[in-house]
Amino acid sequence: MFKYYFSLALRSLRRNVVLTMLMIAAIGVGIGASMTTLTVFRAMDADPIPHKSGQLYAVQIDNWGPADHSMDTGDKLEDQIDYVDAMALMHAHAGARQIAAYLTGFALTPANPELKPFKVDARATFTDFFSMFEVPFEYGAPWGSGDDDARAPVIVITHELNDKLFGGANSVGRTINLDNEDYRIIGVMAPWNPMPRFYDLTSSDFEKTAPVFLPFTRAIDRHLLSWGNTSCSKASEEGWEGLLNSNCVWIQFWAELPSAAAVEEYRRWLKNYAEEQRLSGRFQWPAYTKLHDVRAWLTYEHVVSDETRILVLVSFSFLLVCVLNAMGLMLAKFMGRSADIGVRRALGANKRAILAQCLIEAGVVGLAGGLLGVVLTVLGLLGLRSVLSEQILELTHLDPSGVCIALALAIAATMIAGLYPTWRAAQVVPAWQLKAQ
Amino acid sequence: MEVLPILSAMRRNKVGAILVAVQMAATLAILSNALFIIQQHLALSSRPSGIDEANLFAISNQWVGTPPDESALLQTDLAALRALPGVIDAYATNSYPLTNSGWGDGADLKPDQTKSSTHMARYFGDEHTLNTLGVKLLAGRNFTAAEVVDRMYNDQAAPTALIISRAMADSMFPHGDALGKSIYTSGNKAQTSPIVGIVERLQSPWVSGSSWAAGWVENTAIEPYHYLAKSFCYLVRTQPGQLENVLLLSQQKLFEIHRARVLDKVQTLTEARQEVYRDDRGLALILAVVCAVLLAITAFGIVGLTSYWVAQRRRQIGIRRALGATRGAVVRYFQTENLMIAATGAVVGIVLAITLNLWMVSSFQLERLHNSYAVGGAVIVLLLGQLAVLWPALRAASIPPALATRSV
Amino acid sequence: MLKMTHLSKVYRTEVVETYALRDFSIHVREGEFVAVTGPSGSGKTTFLTIAGLLEEFSGGAYQLDGVDVQGLNDNARSRLRNEKIGFIFQAFNLIPDLSVAENIEVPLRYRGFSAAERRRRIQQSIERVGLAARQRHYPAELSGGQQQRAAIARALAGTPRLLLADEPTGNLDTQMARGVLELLEELHRDGATIVMVTHDPELAVRAQREVHIVDGQVVDVATEPRLVSGARGRMQL
Repeated sequence: MFKYYFSLALRSLRRNVVLTMLMIAAIGVGIGASMTTLTVFRAMDADPIPHKSGQLYAVQIDNWGPADHSMDTGDKLEDQIDYVDAMALMHAHAGARQIAAYLTGFALTPANPELKPFKVDARATFTDFFSMFEVPFEYGAPWGSGDDDARAPVIVITHELNDKLFGGANSVGRTINLDNEDYRIIGVMAPWNPMPRFYDLTSSDFEKTAPVFLPFTRAIDRHLLSWGNTSCSKASEEGWEGLLNSNCVWIQFWAELPSAAAVEEYRRWLKNYAEEQRLSGRFQWPAYTKLHDVRAWLTYEHVVSDETRILVLVSFSFLLVCVLNAMGLMLAKFMGRSADIGVRRALGANKRAILAQCLIEAGVVGLAGGLLGVVLTVLGLLGLRSVLSEQILELTHLDPSGVCIALALAIAATMIAGLYPTWRAAQVVPAWQLKAQ
Repeated sequence: MEVLPILSAMRRNKVGAILVAVQMAATLAILSNALFIIQQHLALSSRPSGIDEANLFAISNQWVGTPPDESALLQTDLAALRALPGVIDAYATNSYPLTNSGWGDGADLKPDQTKSSTHMARYFGDEHTLNTLGVKLLAGRNFTAAEVVDRMYNDQAAPTALIISRAMADSMFPHGDALGKSIYTSGNKAQTSPIVGIVERLQSPWVSGSSWAAGWVENTAIEPYHYLAKSFCYLVRTQPGQLENVLLLSQQKLFEIHRARVLDKVQTLTEARQEVYRDDRGLALILAVVCAVLLAITAFGIVGLTSYWVAQRRRQIGIRRALGATRGAVVRYFQTENLMIAATGAVVGIVLAITLNLWMVSSFQLERLHNSYAVGGAVIVLLLGQLAVLWPALRAASIPPALATRSV
Repeated sequence: MLKMTHLSKVYRTEVVETYALRDFSIHVREGEFVAVTGPSGSGKTTFLTIAGLLEEFSGGAYQLDGVDVQGLNDNARSRLRNEKIGFIFQAFNLIPDLSVAENIEVPLRYRGFSAAERRRRIQQSIERVGLAARQRHYPAELSGGQQQRAAIARALAGTPRLLLADEPTGNLDTQMARGVLELLEELHRDGATIVMVTHDPELAVRAQREVHIVDGQVVDVATEPRLVSGARGRMQL
């Protein structure tokens, strides 16, 4: 029977091409607009490390006191910590694993003297970064804690940089020149670009992975300044030592806490640490610390911008208008056929048969609208790329699940649009004769 | 005119009329809010930076390692840039407008303030800065060469002189007597810095609507420093029409002087403006496209439904024509009908638009909708309805009176 | 076959009650060809819509082929219509989107017949009305008489127990009307039970029996069966 209704639907849709096209266009355009924004929204709102996001915690400590947080966050906490706290937290080993990290960079001088030096971003961190964030390796392995302690000139590079410098060959053991110093490659990552770049949201949320990773201790040793944000509440002593001893925050700190008990314990420990700082006179205010797991951290840092939310809102309202539109047109179409329906009823069709026939017709419109919507989504995403900044690029890929959502959304939208007209059609009484008009 | 018969006709086609009205209301709500957001973002992105954008470009310079005599090298670079043909002037700095990246700080009138008087962006520069940027000195004087000293990243001494923007001057000294006053900046509570000059306008680097500097985007201070750091920028102002040429030439020149450097980002200030406001303009464009398509969809929906109503009432219209209704009367009938539906939709739509806006204001960083946008949206929707109904109404008017005599 | 006893049908609006049928009784036996006549507004069409289970009635009883139809739900009524009744409409009521064969297929689809059975029945009934050559044509491409033949084929395809015809020749010119009428007579000879509503006395006399309705009541029942062949003879004059 489905096949029969399907062929009837096609026939009926062919009968009034303009009306059909209008309905398909309405659904398609509505789906296109809402899927375009939804795709970006989903990418922004994505869990970058799904199976572990509940075990990784960003650490915040109030090292300025309540009076000094004049900017930014509403809860009077900075999203980074200072060097003193970072080192204390690293040495305490209070979590299963923990890392401090910051973004810095180099001028990389290629071995080939013909080529000009170029700039590379670098992330200074500890060995556990790779296991905590499950960084995949193509060649070699992360440096060990021995290298951390030794402030060793070793680096891990990304797949992309390895391609660029070594044509993708195994470069483990080779060296590269960073600001006139040789660094030995100890590992090469497989492609790894979590989006959003949850472990560092201080500058841009959708930046790619820094091409070079080096031991934090080495970076400090070489006086490498942060290339991210540095915020201070008061002036510090001059020079590098002055910066390290200051209350300037420029370091991200993450702890891996595998169980609820571990989280509780770490929370207590952290609070206790801040309290000790108060007792020692370093802080003159009550202990104030916070832990956020990855998902909560993304929300806390407003990774999904207001503009994106507004766009999603506007485009879904737009879809609503399109659904209303299709509903009106479908009502017109079905009611225009009430004579036919009356005859069918007279010939023995029960209400269910009429319902099925009309719903399948609505479904066909939905499917066609959905396909059009997918095409328009792809075009819309291309459009977004050309008018929005580059960082959006990573967020504009329509994956198969996106296509499925688009089609499901289209059919659901059409079904909703089709429900009332269909119900009205089924109310048509079996007709004895075609009434005039 | 014939409002009552239209009303009774609509009563028999309730759902269709309601659908059109709701659709128009939703269209109006979306339209007015979207237009409002568009206007805001366009206004944001067309604010002046205060500098001669058309003839300026910037080069980000990054040394490879630390060159032996950084200070001398910087001076050599600057001298060479200023000597290039087509160059008006050049200087070196930590940051410049339209980049969303730079240094910010509080500024205090007294050393023991717990809360800063205002905030400002800090630009480093020298006696060539005002001429390079093309900003207008309103009062006071330029830096002297002697005032300009070298500065490292974490130096803490207070600047020996400041040239500030008028907005900054006004926010600290509302009586217009800022010139010659001394203020505390950069967290240094021991030393003050005298204000030696005031420029008409110089925007901070953070221009996004939701940035941390949203409340003090016009507040800036220029400090007499040559910034000795791994990375900094050269800004170059050229004679009109010389920009592209000088842009290439200056890079060659810099590499001639010292090869071990990275000129990472070379951009004109026009490009900088485009880039920094890309998302604002992009959002405005996307919303504009959505609005256009929305209007089209609504219009075609009305055309479709009205055509159907016309088809349904062909005989009735024929009878009216036979009884003496003119073509104009038939067209007016459908126009009045649409006007009544659209007016209902517009009233609901205005309420909806304001509700939507209030909700967005409470959820996002968004301003209250000006009433003119809701009213403007209503006018657009009413006109749209009249326009959309015209074609089916004309078709209805062409139904021959003879139809009445034909029984089907 | 069709038996109504003391049946009534009231249309109620806010202000008035109108009896379309009042104390209406009729009994049509298997194999009969009954003409129902009466002036316009007499209740002929109401009778037919109730007989065809298109509408409910207000009082009395109605048995169709031994089934008491009172209180049946919409589904059951739909099935009864589908299986037991064939409709022939004045305006043919062919579905314009569908070809002749597809129109005939409609009730068979709802009956749930297999594709092969549907094909067989379509073929059989289409040949029965002599439209085999036109089965792929659409209604708009046929003459009025051909359309009515197609409609009759559609009514026959499900081998209904009862054929209900409403002014079957009303929209046809004399020559086409004659052809359609001959077809009905032929069907009757082959054993079909036919109830035909008409206001045309010329037509009515060709039925076996004539039932006259005035103001919703049967006023005169001509019980004496007439010879169909005789009726045809008169028409040929």
